Amino acid sequence: MAPLMAQPTANEDDVLVRVENAVKYFPVKAGGFIKHTVGQVHAVDDVSLVIERGKTLGLVGETGSGKSTLARCVAGLIPVTSGQVFINGTDITKLSRGAMRPLRREVQMIFQDPYSSLNPRRRVGAIIGDPFAIHKTATGAERKRKVQELMERVGLNPEHYNRFPAEFSGGQRQRIGVARALALRPKLIICDEPVSALDVSIQAQVLNLLSDLQQEYGLSYLFIAHDLEVVRHVSDKVAVMYLGRIGEAAPAEELYDRPRHPYTVALLSAAPAADPDTAAARQRIILTGDVPSPIDPPAGCRFHPRCPKAQEICAKVEPQLVRDQSAAQPGDDGQQAADAGQTDASPMGGDVPGGWAHVTACHFPVVPGENLATAGAVAGAGKGDVA
Amino acid sequence: MTLLEVKDLHVSFPTTDGLVQAVRGVSFDVEPGRTLGIVGESGSGKTVLTQTLLGLTPGADVAGSALFEGTDLLQLSEDELRHVRGERISVIFQDPLTSLHPLYRIGWQISEMIRAHEKSVSKKEAAARSVELLRRVGIPKPEIRVNDYPHQFSGGMRQRAMIAMALALDPRLIIADEPTTALDATVQAQILDLLLRLQQDSGTALIIITHDLGVVADIADDVMVMYAGRAAEKAPKRDIFYAPHHPYTKGLLESIPSSKAASERLKPIPGQPPSLINLPSGCKFHPRCGYVFDRCLTEEPVLHPVAERGSHASACWLPATAAGLSAEAEELREQVVQAERGAEAAVVAAAALAELGVSAAEDAAGDRPGDNEGSVA
Repeated sequence: MAPLMAQPTANEDDVLVRVENAVKYFPVKAGGFIKHTVGQVHAVDDVSLVIERGKTLGLVGETGSGKSTLARCVAGLIPVTSGQVFINGTDITKLSRGAMRPLRREVQMIFQDPYSSLNPRRRVGAIIGDPFAIHKTATGAERKRKVQELMERVGLNPEHYNRFPAEFSGGQRQRIGVARALALRPKLIICDEPVSALDVSIQAQVLNLLSDLQQEYGLSYLFIAHDLEVVRHVSDKVAVMYLGRIGEAAPAEELYDRPRHPYTVALLSAAPAADPDTAAARQRIILTGDVPSPIDPPAGCRFHPRCPKAQEICAKVEPQLVRDQSAAQPGDDGQQAADAGQTDASPMGGDVPGGWAHVTACHFPVVPGENLATAGAVAGAGKGDVA
Repeated sequence: MTLLEVKDLHVSFPTTDGLVQAVRGVSFDVEPGRTLGIVGESGSGKTVLTQTLLGLTPGADVAGSALFEGTDLLQLSEDELRHVRGERISVIFQDPLTSLHPLYRIGWQISEMIRAHEKSVSKKEAAARSVELLRRVGIPKPEIRVNDYPHQFSGGMRQRAMIAMALALDPRLIIADEPTTALDATVQAQILDLLLRLQQDSGTALIIITHDLGVVADIADDVMVMYAGRAAEKAPKRDIFYAPHHPYTKGLLESIPSSKAASERLKPIPGQPPSLINLPSGCKFHPRCGYVFDRCLTEEPVLHPVAERGSHASACWLPATAAGLSAEAEELREQVVQAERGAEAAVVAAAALAELGVSAAEDAAGDRPGDNEGSVA
């Protein structure tokens, strides 16, 4: 095991990844010969989260919400603009390339498209064996044996060691990607839409494999997907991103049963349900418009231009992630929760997304029983009906 | 009157590797104002099927008939088909970015389509109609946006523009091929809502092709599930979801993660869809089927009615009464399988199980610590 500089405090033991105020801006360049920066894409804007050992943090959000950028920052594939990313207690944003190398073993990635993430001209055995070659941990016959063990573990025939990726189906290729990610026994695997390119019947095979591997090796996953049911199935905690920020985070069941951010409510109501009665019964909240440009995100709450509950304050003051107070005080109308202000983040990561608390960044959180579909008609209707 | 009546359609493509049998005898009807959902995985033939109706599969060997308003689409000349396409039947494709020309303004592209079919329309009239169409599909400030290029539109707006184009000539049938697959969930909801509303307004029939059972549950009236170039099951929507007969339909429904069983292990279908060049014998689903018995290995089942419901048909050798997700239906299936399964089919079934077993067997060993978690949840 790589010697880590970690000096974890006692309550840090369960935390594998800690992201603190991560910011990632991409410059927008213009001009001919002399390029100058005319703007910034606010891909990830002040995001904090924790990922516990052996657990899965699901990250949902629409295109352009910054979830993939955040994942790449966690993997150390792109540097953050500011903020810190701790893996096992080590801040990877300050490390040199050389010092980063042993840490790279701890974090691996599975990509969305099993067709473009495997080199078509290299044999499967070589592809899966690459991590061993790069980190010089196994050579020759030993490498081959290890690769074949991995292939068997992910449900591929080890005899297909010498085949090319083109000879495998989509689901099998994703298994190759899983085997490659697993090779160095990482602690964290970042899964960026790992099943979206697969057929329905194959999705379940890969999801089951990922859950088996998690139990067997105690892996943590950062699981990105746009399919909310898939995320619910695999995740312990879920964070919802919108335009570079986390709008709401909670343990999975809690988030799906009692969503508080209007965006989460809309997202859940928009998700297709493979059940005609559920589909007919639910009231869909049709959000108007599209996600605004991350180059010039709206002032105040970033969701306010599309929010059925938006009021004046939403356009001015950016809401902070605060703990759900209504759980402690039943009947709380949400206004108090907003007034309560920002709670200090506990070292256990209680109030940090990925921790155990239900946190929401909204001035007027949705309360159970509230009907957002009708709230849209009366813009600024505020609290709506409390059940 | 039936709007579209497809009978025993066969489509195959000769390739150097062999004959790709994309569609192998599919029949279905579409009534005016109804929505037919065609569900299937990649390679099930669902896209080739509809493209063939519109003459968009050059080089294919086509047999069968497709009566649209009484004329056989498959017998029409290229010229006659041009008039049907766009005017009578229009198509919405999956990826609006590649279906719009990047160098022409949105309004120009809609106008061009109108003027290509209605020669008497002036440029000015066509432009005015384009604006009106964009307004109908919910583009804000259409009189300004009509002069935008496709790249200035977001994904959802591009798909709206495609729908505007599809509506331009007031067709009787719209074929939407994975219209929302490239879109985000909230935008998908907008587009499905729009399609439903427009359909109610105009009485247009709609064929929606998708791999997403959620989309079908939402907007289809009838559903056809395709597997390996054939209809595995055809029924009104509720029967497909609540009383599926074909093991493939049942397998698809069970493999989707659902909120009802969030913590349970998923039940995937073992194996993968077959190669369309080298199809298995008998029922094409038998290598992946948990209920396989001897007859399945040699004889391919055709659609037969399920129970008394005339419009529910399934291509499976299991008895018609064995439909649904209930325990009784499951028991009935198991009885039939036990009585009919010989040695040969047992080998096939074991192979399918082993395919899943790679994870399942090790599961038994590796699952123990997780079992505790399962019981807590």
